Formats: sequence, C-alpha cells, structure tokens
Amino acid sequence: MASRSENIVCMSVASQFFTQDDGVDNMTTTERVVDLLNQAALISTESKLTILKQVQELIINKDPSLLDNFLDEMIAFQADKSIEVRKFVIGFIEEACKRDNELLLKLIANLNMLLRDENVNVVKKAILTMTQLYKVALQWMVRSRVINDKQDSCWEMVSDMVNDINQLLDSDNDGIRTHAIKFIESLIITLSPRMPDSDVPKRQENDISLDRVPKDHPYIKYDILCEYGKAALEQLLKFMVHPAISSINLTAALGSLATIARQRPMFMSEVIQAYETLHANLPPTLAKSQVSSVRKNLKLHLLSVLKHPSSVEFHNQITTLLLDLGTQQQEIARNMPNLKESRKRPRDETEQGLKKIKMDTPLVEDDEDKDLEVMPAMSAKSSAQSAQTDTDITAEFLQPLLTPENVANLVLISMVYLPETMPASFQATYTPVESAGTDVQIKHLARLMATQMTSAGIGPGVEQMKQQKVEQKEEKISKPENLPIIRRMYSLTQGQAISVVGSGATVNLQEKIQTKRWPEPIIPAAPMRMVGTGIRKKIFRLNDVIKALTDVQIDNLKLNAVRRILQSERAVACSGAAQVRVKILSRMVLEFDEILKSEVLSFILEDMRNRIDLAFAWLYQEYNAYLSHFPDGSPDDYDECLIGLLAGLQERPDQKDGVFSRLVLEAPLITDTALEVIRKYCEDESRSYLGMSTLRDLIFKRPARQFQYLHVMLDLCSHEKDKVRQQALTFIKRMYEREQLRDYIEKFALNYLQLLVHPNPPSVLFGADKDTEVAAPWTEETEKQCLYLYLALLPQNHKLIHELASVYTEAIADIKRTVLRAIDQPIRGMGMNSPELLLLVENCPKGAETLVTRCLHILTDKAPPSPELVKQVRDLYQKRLPDVRFLIPVLNGLEKKEIIQALPKLIKLNPIVVKEVFNRLLGTQHGEGNSSVSPLNPGELLIALHNIDSTKCDMKSIIKATNLCFGERNVYTSEVLAVVMQQLMEQNPLPILLMRTVIQSLTMYPRLGGFVMNILSRLIMKQVWKYPKVWEGFIKCCQRTKPQSFQVLLQLPPPQLSAVFEKCPELREPLLAHVRSFTPHQQAHIPSSIMVILEASSKQELQTDLPQMEEEDKEQIVASRPASQEMIAVRLAQEKALKRQLEEEQKLKQPRKTTVPPTPSLEEIMDFREEGPEVETPTIFISMEEESNLAEPSQDKTISAKISVQPALPTMSLDRKSPEVEQGNTQEKASSVPDSPNKESNTTKEAVNGATTTADGNVNEAKGKSPETTAEDILPAEQSEELMDQDTVEKQES
Amino acid sequence: MPLSPLRVAVVCSSNQNRSMEAHNILSKRGFIVRSFGTGTHVKLPGPAPDKPNVYDFKTTYDQMYNDLLRKDKELYTQNGILHMLDRNKRIKPRPERFQSCKDVFDLVVTCEERVYDQVLEDLNSREQETCQPVHVINVDIQDNHEEATLGAFLICELCQCIQHTDDMENDIDELLQEFEEKSGRTFLHTVCFY
Repeated sequence: MASRSENIVCMSVASQFFTQDDGVDNMTTTERVVDLLNQAALISTESKLTILKQVQELIINKDPSLLDNFLDEMIAFQADKSIEVRKFVIGFIEEACKRDNELLLKLIANLNMLLRDENVNVVKKAILTMTQLYKVALQWMVRSRVINDKQDSCWEMVSDMVNDINQLLDSDNDGIRTHAIKFIESLIITLSPRMPDSDVPKRQENDISLDRVPKDHPYIKYDILCEYGKAALEQLLKFMVHPAISSINLTAALGSLATIARQRPMFMSEVIQAYETLHANLPPTLAKSQVSSVRKNLKLHLLSVLKHPSSVEFHNQITTLLLDLGTQQQEIARNMPNLKESRKRPRDETEQGLKKIKMDTPLVEDDEDKDLEVMPAMSAKSSAQSAQTDTDITAEFLQPLLTPENVANLVLISMVYLPETMPASFQATYTPVESAGTDVQIKHLARLMATQMTSAGIGPGVEQMKQQKVEQKEEKISKPENLPIIRRMYSLTQGQAISVVGSGATVNLQEKIQTKRWPEPIIPAAPMRMVGTGIRKKIFRLNDVIKALTDVQIDNLKLNAVRRILQSERAVACSGAAQVRVKILSRMVLEFDEILKSEVLSFILEDMRNRIDLAFAWLYQEYNAYLSHFPDGSPDDYDECLIGLLAGLQERPDQKDGVFSRLVLEAPLITDTALEVIRKYCEDESRSYLGMSTLRDLIFKRPARQFQYLHVMLDLCSHEKDKVRQQALTFIKRMYEREQLRDYIEKFALNYLQLLVHPNPPSVLFGADKDTEVAAPWTEETEKQCLYLYLALLPQNHKLIHELASVYTEAIADIKRTVLRAIDQPIRGMGMNSPELLLLVENCPKGAETLVTRCLHILTDKAPPSPELVKQVRDLYQKRLPDVRFLIPVLNGLEKKEIIQALPKLIKLNPIVVKEVFNRLLGTQHGEGNSSVSPLNPGELLIALHNIDSTKCDMKSIIKATNLCFGERNVYTSEVLAVVMQQLMEQNPLPILLMRTVIQSLTMYPRLGGFVMNILSRLIMKQVWKYPKVWEGFIKCCQRTKPQSFQVLLQLPPPQLSAVFEKCPELREPLLAHVRSFTPHQQAHIPSSIMVILEASSKQELQTDLPQMEEEDKEQIVASRPASQEMIAVRLAQEKALKRQLEEEQKLKQPRKTTVPPTPSLEEIMDFREEGPEVETPTIFISMEEESNLAEPSQDKTISAKISVQPALPTMSLDRKSPEVEQGNTQEKASSVPDSPNKESNTTKEAVNGATTTADGNVNEAKGKSPETTAEDILPAEQSEELMDQDTVEKQES
Repeated sequence: MPLSPLRVAVVCSSNQNRSMEAHNILSKRGFIVRSFGTGTHVKLPGPAPDKPNVYDFKTTYDQMYNDLLRKDKELYTQNGILHMLDRNKRIKPRPERFQSCKDVFDLVVTCEERVYDQVLEDLNSREQETCQPVHVINVDIQDNHEEATLGAFLICELCQCIQHTDDMENDIDELLQEFEEKSGRTFLHTVCFY
C-alpha cells in the first residue's frame, strides 16, 4: 500500500486523476478510498478538496458501510491548516451524522472543537452544521427510548454547544452573530410545537419539532425544551432591541422573526410587538442608508407575516406599521391572506369586516363584538395573549392621562433631551400626522408611548405581566381576568388603525408629541441596559465598546490634548490663572515626548514675546531636572529645550526686541551646543550685532566660562564673512581694553599669527569639518584669517609689532606679500611717532627688511617723515643695512648731500621705484598736496643727475632718470631748464649728457632756441670738441637747429667744421648757400680757411689744413671768449648788412626779370616758399620733437646706451619724412632770389600747414605707442612688492 | 482574504445593459460572476417609449440582435442597442432570470431598488435549507449606457474591496459606509439566507 501511494505521489496531479479513473474498474471502493486518502494527505489544498469530496461521496453515498472504517482518517483533516479543508470536514461530519446518527457520539466532540476554531469562517460553518445536527441529534435522542451514558454525555455536549452558540450572539464578529441568529431561529422552531396553521417548508416537513417529542420521554423533557425554546426567543428579542445592533444583524433577526412567526404562529404577538418596538426605536447607530434598508426589510417581513393566516389578529398593527413604512394600500391588500381558502372558520365574516375597517371608518362597537368572538378562539394560545398585553395595558393606562396639559408638559420637559442633530432614523420615518388631537390619535400616541415604556421595562403593563408570569408558572393556566384587558386592548389597536385615516385639528400639539417621542430611548437607555445585564454582556465588555487604539491614534489623541491645553491660553489668562497655567504646563512638558515637546516649542515660538514666561518656566524645569540627577544626569533635555528655543528664534524673522539676548542671558546654563547656536546667530550677517552683543554680555556677566565665550568671539574675528568679522573685531577691540581679557585676546591673536609660520595652513583655520585638508596650501583667505585679529589689536598695542616682524621673517613669500598688503591700515593707525615702530626700524630683524620698508612707505605715504624716523632710517642705512631702498620713504627728510650721494644707487633700481623716488623728490606724488619740501630743488636734481659719476652708475640709468625729469613738464619749465643748462655748461669738465639735455630742452621748449644757440657758441669757446660725446651731441644739435645753427657753425674753427661736415655732409651745402647769400662784404668776414672747407670737395685738403686751423681757431675763441655776447651782436649786425647788400644787388637785377609777366607772382610764391621753411622750421621742430620725446622711452629700451646716436635718430627720420622742406631747399638752389620775409601769402601758409599735418600724423603714431608706457604705472603697494620680489629673488640667488 | 473567490451575481431588470456591463467588467477582473434580470420579460427600447421590444428569457441575445437588425438597423445602431446585444452575446448566450436560478451566491448586487425588492422577495420566499447567508446590495444605476459603465466600475470596485476583506461579513457594513461616503451614493444592503 505504501509503495503504491509513493508511486502515485511521484506522478503529476493530472495523471493521478487519470490513474484513479483508470483504476475504477479494478479497485474495490475500499482500495480507492485508501488511495485517495493517501493522496489527499500529500497534495495541495485545491486538489485535496476534490479528492476528499470524492472520498465523502464514496463512503457516505456509495458504500456507507465504509464510513465507520475511514471516519478517523477523514476527521484527521480537521487539523488541516487550510480553512477550506477544515470547513469540508465540518460538512463531512454533518453528512456522516445524518447518514448514521450513532456517529454523533463520536463526532460531536470534533464539531465542538471546530466550533472553537480560530478562523471565523470555520466557526460559521460549524454553527450552520450545528443548526442541522441539533435537529438530527434531538430526533435521534427522541427515537432511542433507552439512553445510555454515551448518549447522555453526547446530548449534554450538544446542549452545551447550543448554549455556546447562543452566547455567540455577543460575539465580536458580525458574521458569527448573524449565524448565531439563524441558529437560534432554527432552535426556536425546533423547540416549539408545530401548529396546524404553521407554515411548514416542504424540506422541513420531516424535521423534528417539539410536537414530535413525546411528553413521556425518559430523557428528553418536553417542558424543559419548550421553556428553552421560549428563552431562546426571549434572547433573540432582547438582542434585537439592543441599541447598538448592526444593520446586518438586525436584518437577519427581522427575517428570523418573520420565519418564526410564520412557522410558529403562537409567537406572532411577540414578533409583531418586536417589530413595533423596533419601528419606534430604530437603533441610533444606523446610517441613513441602513435605516432605509432596515425599513425595507421590515416592510418585506411584515408583508410576509401578513400573508400568514394567523396574522389576522394583528392585522391592525401590521397595517399601521406598513402604512408608516410607506406601503401602498393596494400592496397591503394584495398580501392579505386569502382567509376563505386557507381557513374554513366562522371568523371569516369578522375577518372581512376587519378588512373593511381598514378601508372605511371603523365602528368601535363592531370591533368589540368581533374581539369578543375572537378571543375564545385565541384563548388556546396562551402564550400569545400574555405576550401581547403588557404594551396594551400600559397604553390603556396612559390614554386618559394624555390631556393637552400633560402632553404640553411632556413636550416641554423632553425638549431638553432632544439630540443636537436629527437622527437618521427619524428623518427617514417622519411623516406629518394628520389626525392630531382626535381620540384616535391620542390612543395611537398612548400606544406608541406604551411601546417605549414596555421596551424600557416600565409601566403598569410590564408590572402586571411579571405578576402574570409568576402566576402562570404556578398554575400554568391563563386566568380569565385577563380577558377584559385583552379585549380593551383590541379596541385600542383598532382605533389606532383608524387614526391614520381620520383627520384632526390640533396638528401642532400632535406634532410636538410626535417629536417628543424620539429622544426617549436615549434617556432610558441606562435602565434598559440594567435590565438586560444578564444576557447582554456585550455592552459591558470593554472590548466591545473600546477598541485598543493604535499607537498613531494614541499619539494623535495626546497631541490634540496638548494642543487644546496650549490653545486655552487666552481663556486661562482671562480667568487670571495664567501663572498657574505656565507652572503646570512647564511641569507637564517635562514628561512629554519629542513630538509633544516640539509642539509646545512651536507654540512658544509662535509668539515668543508673550510666551517667554512659559519658555523660561520650561527651561528652568528642565534645568531643575538635570540638577536633581546631578552628577550622573546629562543635560540633554535641557540642552534640547534651550537649543530648540534659540534655534527657533534664529529662524524667525527680525527679532529686534532682544528676546534672544534675554533668553541667552537668563538661561541657567549655556551648553556647548547652545553656544554653537549663538555662534551661528552671530554668523548671520543681519543679526551679528545682536548676537555679538549678547555674546559680549555673556563674556562680561558669566565670568566662570568667560574665556569659552571669548574664544567664540575671537573665532568670529577670522570669519569669512566680512561684515561678521568686522563686527567681531569691533567688539574685541573694545574688550581688549579690559585688563582681565587682554592677555587672553592677545595670546589668541598671537597664536593665530604664529600659525603663519607653518608651511601649510593648520586645520584650525578650516573649521572642524575640513580636517582632512591640512595639506592645502596657504591662500590669501587663510593668511588673512590669521591676521585680522592681530592687525586690529596692533594700533592699540604697538608692542605687538615685533611679533609680526619675527613671524614675517619665517613666513613664506606668499604670506609675506599678504602681510605687506594687510598692514597698511594698522601701521597708519600707529603713526610714525610710535616708539615701538621706531624700535622696529632700528632693530630691523634680518629678513624683515621688506616689512620695515613697507612700513616706512605706508607712514610716509601721506605725510613727510618725522625727524626721528629719518634718524632711525639713516642709522639703519648707514650702520647695518646699506640698502638704499630704505631711504626712499624718508628721502625728503634727508639732507641734500645724502640724497646726491644715494642718487646713483637710487636710479639703478626698478624703473617704477625710480619713478617713485623722483615723485618724492620732485613733490609730484600722486597729485596730493604734499607738504614735504624736497631738500633738492628740481634743477639741483637734474644737475645732480648729470654729475653722477659714470663709474658708479651706468649711463642708461642716468638717461632714464633724466628722462623722468623731462617727463615732469610742470616741474621742469623752460626757466628751470635754462638755469640747469647754464650751470651745467659752466662745469668743467662738461657733463657727458650736457648736449642731450640741451637737445631735449630745446625740443620741449623751442623758444629756448636762441638760448641754445648761445650755449652752443659758448661751448665752442669751451672747445667742445674735446669731449667726444658732447661734441657728437653738439653736431646733432646744430643739425637739428639749422639754419639757426649756421651762425654757430661758422664760428667753429675750420678743422672742427670739416669734422662736422664729415659727420653730416648734408650740412655743407646749405651752409655754403647761406654764406653765399651774404653780401660780399659779409662774405669777406668769413675766413678763407672756412670757405675752403665749405667749398672744398676733397677731403685731403681739409685734412692737411686742419692742424693750422685749429691753432687759429683757438686763438680766435680765446680772444672772443670774454665778450661772446658782443660778438654775436656784431655778427648779427654783419648779417643785416650783408642782407641789405644782397637786396640792393637784387634790385639791380630786377628789370631783367620783369620782362616775363607771369613770373613775379610765381616768384613771390617761390620766395615765400623759400622763406617759409626758414621761418617755420622751429615750429615743425616743436611738433617733431614732442613726438620724439614721447617716443623716446620705448626706444630707449631697445637701443643700447649710445647717447650720441639716440637724440639724433628722431630728427633724422623727421628730415626724411618732410619732403616739403627738402623741396624748399632744392628750390632755393634753383632760384636764389630772396624776397621780403615780412610778406606772407596763403600758399605759404598752406605749405606750412602741410608740413605740420604730416608732423601731426607722426604725433598720432607716437601717441599710439604711449599706452605701453602708461600701462606700466603701478600702485605704490605693488612697487614695494616688486621691491620685495627683487629682494627675495636676490635672497634666493644668494 | 477568503480562500474561495467571491461568488457574485449582478441583477438588473432585463439582464441586458446594467447587469451585463457589470458582468463584463467583473469577469474581466477575474470574479466568478453571473448576471440576471428580475423582470417577467426582457424589454428593450423600441421605436417609441410605449412600444418596447419585448422578449421572453428564452430568447438568445443573438436572436434579439437579428430581430432588431431586421426591424430598424439604423435606429438600433444609433441608440447602441445592437452594440450592446453584440457585447452580450459574446458573454453568454441568453438573458437569465434571477428567480429561476437556484445557484448559491455570496453577494448579489442589484442595479435598481425595484430589482432589489424583487430579489429580496424571491430570496425570502425560498425555503431555507443551508442557512448560508447571502448579502444583497443595491446600487442605483440609471438605465443608460453611460451610467451603466460608471455603475459597473463602481460595482467592480465594491466587489474588489469586499473580496479583499479578511472577513467579509464582519467588514461589509463598515465598507459600505465608507463607500457611500466616497461615492456619494447610498446603498441598500441586507442579508438573506439560502
């Protein structure tokens, strides 16, 4: 067997079924069942169910003999984990027990177990099965006359289960309750006798009911069962009036009651009464749609009950209810039982009469008659009577009491209890009452009230019924006394039915009464529950009423509660308990969790100003809590609270009212994190002042941790935000004045300063988070960070400067540069009279020279150096550091001698520095009012330059320096230059640069022309040719100043003249022409040796003549030297005479020329042209020379220092560029006809203009070049940088 | 979630439009669904309001389709009846009457109060056997194509919600309340027993 099943297991499910089908023929049923069961044990739920169903079919229907054999195997599946399988097992139990009732003995225990299954669906199935099996069991018990122990215990278990299921009416699960209702319904029907008028469903025809239980059964007691059935009904009815019944349960119960009423008409009165009660008291818990669903159900079931022939006695009530539920008359009529057919009874007439009553106006007399007739027929159904009466009795009792006055009072009293919103059920059911005020209506009202009172367990009817029941129990026979009451009751009910149809006048009153009726169930709810205690445990079980809240809900509730407390602020304040509230609240907050605390926090922050009391109260509470646990406890909570408040304040926009400061200053303890928040606050640019003044107060007022706060403040001094830093520096500077803080601040500043010595910026500068970037190089930012604080303190404590110097010497070049840039302001603040500063200058540590220089520069930038400073610098320069750069700042403080001494060194420096030097010396510094008076005046300076020993300084530097002088046109005016030239000329020997200066002066100031000629003449006297350089310059100058210079040239001794012509052959021709233009008398004055040179074309002659001529010239010059001026005057006179002669000669020649008429004008033009250049050349020279002057510096750079060539260059190029001049010269050769120099014509002007324009063009070209030079103008700071750079380079080189 | 899938019945009066639309959607969503009518006859709109096309429940959709096609193709195409019938015949051969069906359901959804009443009446008039509960829910849907589609989706959503509850009977009340709030409609709901 085992091997077989194993084989099958190996196959697929599909193939298993195939084998099954295949094996049908071969296998016996037993084998098949075994096979299937084996499969079922091992396969999935779905196929398991299929297989189990097959087994069930086999062992129950095909071969019931096998049932017993396989029962255990099947039942074993009740422990299956699948719900469906367990449900199947229940179904199997049912089938099995139905097949073989004996099995109940065994299986009832299993069912009992399954009834307690954890899954609701299994439990439901068990209840359903129990519904069936109870009847089976009862039947089985009844059948067996002899009851053994097993049966006994089996029945006991069945009874227990029935009780259990009844208890399930109180289950938490709606579905289980619904099933329990159905079970109870079936139980009631089973445990009550089937009557002739009972509806019996065809299927249940054979089902057992109480009437089939023999009253003499030895074990099953008829009466007990009967009572049990009644109790069950009671329970069901109670269940139905429960105010919190669910709509589904209610629906189910309504259906059950209808079923009960139809199948057991003896309960009809209870059912109808229950319906009535329900209709009047729909559970308030129902939603609107549920109300309509329930009403619909109620109507449906009422109609189904109405159909039942036994409902006749209750037709009035049913009809009233149905009409109230909005049923159409026709529909009611349609559902009336066809009495004639269903019951052949003498009552037919009255029944029909009743029918009429509903349609027409009823006759009370008739009704009473009918009732009297009906009652005997009914008397047999004792239970029906007794149940019906209590409401009726109460109604009867109430009716006379319902006077308008009482009703009005009732209305007034009940007004108080009206619910705030209209209950859904009322809204759905309310219809205006038309017949208000009539007797009929009053009866109806009395009945409605009676229903309420009865359901609440009060009223005379209830009392009587209790009594009656007791009596009934004793006698078990109904007393005839009840009859009159019953009869009266009937008349009432009839009246009620009529009332709806009739009409009345006092509508208002009626409406009020109607309204009043509704709230009632709400008030007597308590007593009602009391009554129901025994059965309806449900209400009192906490689980039913209270659901365990989820954490989220709990939190929400808490949060909301706290919010309410918080929001009650104003109300509490009004009542004057604000202080107490704050106290309590702050204590409470201590116990709160994070969320609640944050709620309180945000509440405080909402209006910090007014809630600061609460804030402090809380804060101090937290502090207290911290202190009470002192050394062990951590101030975390306190910290959090404080941080929360501070951070919250920080986030708020403008807090000008100082709440922040107050909070900080009044807080019992400032934790580290709080300090961090304060720091952040300070770092906020818009609040830094407030933050820092708070911090300052902390520093002053909390001496215990003073330095911790101070440290924060000091840290802020190197903050990256400019504004914050400035603010912090301002505060620190003020604090620095305090003795007790001074040391700390100083130490801090110096520590920071010392950081600059490190090769890389230490991590301190980056803040904690950037620890890793230690290897980063210094940046200007980090360098400055180290300096800010120090520099701020410097003006207050000059002694600190020495620290800087020592740091400076050790720092790298970049840092040095930053230092130099940064010290400007503080040094200026210290002033040049600071003894410490002077001490620094005096001591000037090695390596700090640039620093000292920079300091000197800064100090003397705006003011002339003080004598002390000059003295220190001079000492330094002379004794220790002979670096001329030290002198620059104090130049103006030095003596003339010293300057002249230093000049060669000074001009050798970087051109920019030289410029600076000159600016200082010439007082042209930055155009600012420089009060310092240079010890050297400009002329002296220029002369000093010329007198620099060329061995001490190269020519190039000197030339550059002189150029700088010439650059200052404002200083070097023509007068100054004239004086300079004069003085230079008088020197012996002549300075090399003399002629250069002369030429430059001339180009700057052409009007010096005459003066220059004078100079030239005097130079001849000084035998200028003995100074080769000056001589070269002399020639250039002559070349440039022709034809003015012709006179000078003619003064030269012949050898020198020939030397000139050798240098400048082009001069010869014009000079010759010039001489020829002299009158013969004039020409006679010119020595023949000179004329020879002028006319000579062979150099040999010249060379041979030279020695002689030199001798002659010497004599001449020596002779004429004392009166050079007179000589010039004599020569000029000679010239004039010559001119006059020439003119006369020309006049003689003129008649020849006049023969040609057009020529005169032409000649005139020619003449002017001839003359023009002569007159205008200086003008041209001005423009030309200006250009060259401007262009010179750039040329200087490229051309090596050969002065003799340099000044000539521009002129040479100029000559080439002015073709008109040449033209003029050529024309001069062509026609040697002079004209009056005073006459000017337009044409000459044009020509001259033409010349000037070309010159202008050159000027422009030159201007184009100028930016190169101007771009090199650099700020003083940079100068010193350059200075320093040089310095460092030198150092590095060394 | 219950192990067994929900057995759903959708009921309207003629088992043509509303119930079939819902049937269509629900079956697409994997429900075990059947659809029914409760009327005595199957009525389809005719050329005039007072002249409906009346068939008995034995007539197949196909027959109705052909009949209407023959009568007035344009009219029935234009009012969508033919399209509807075409859809219906793809779902099942003929309309079914609820009262004639003895199958057991877990949930019956009706499309109109009148239909709901008829279903309740029928269920209550049946003899009780197993006492197994069946929930009847009414969702009011107007009898036109658009409303039918909207209603079908609502029913579908409802069914899905119910299907996904752990314990349908326990949760259905609350679920319906929520649904009412969400959809702004009211649902009649009751429980009957087989």
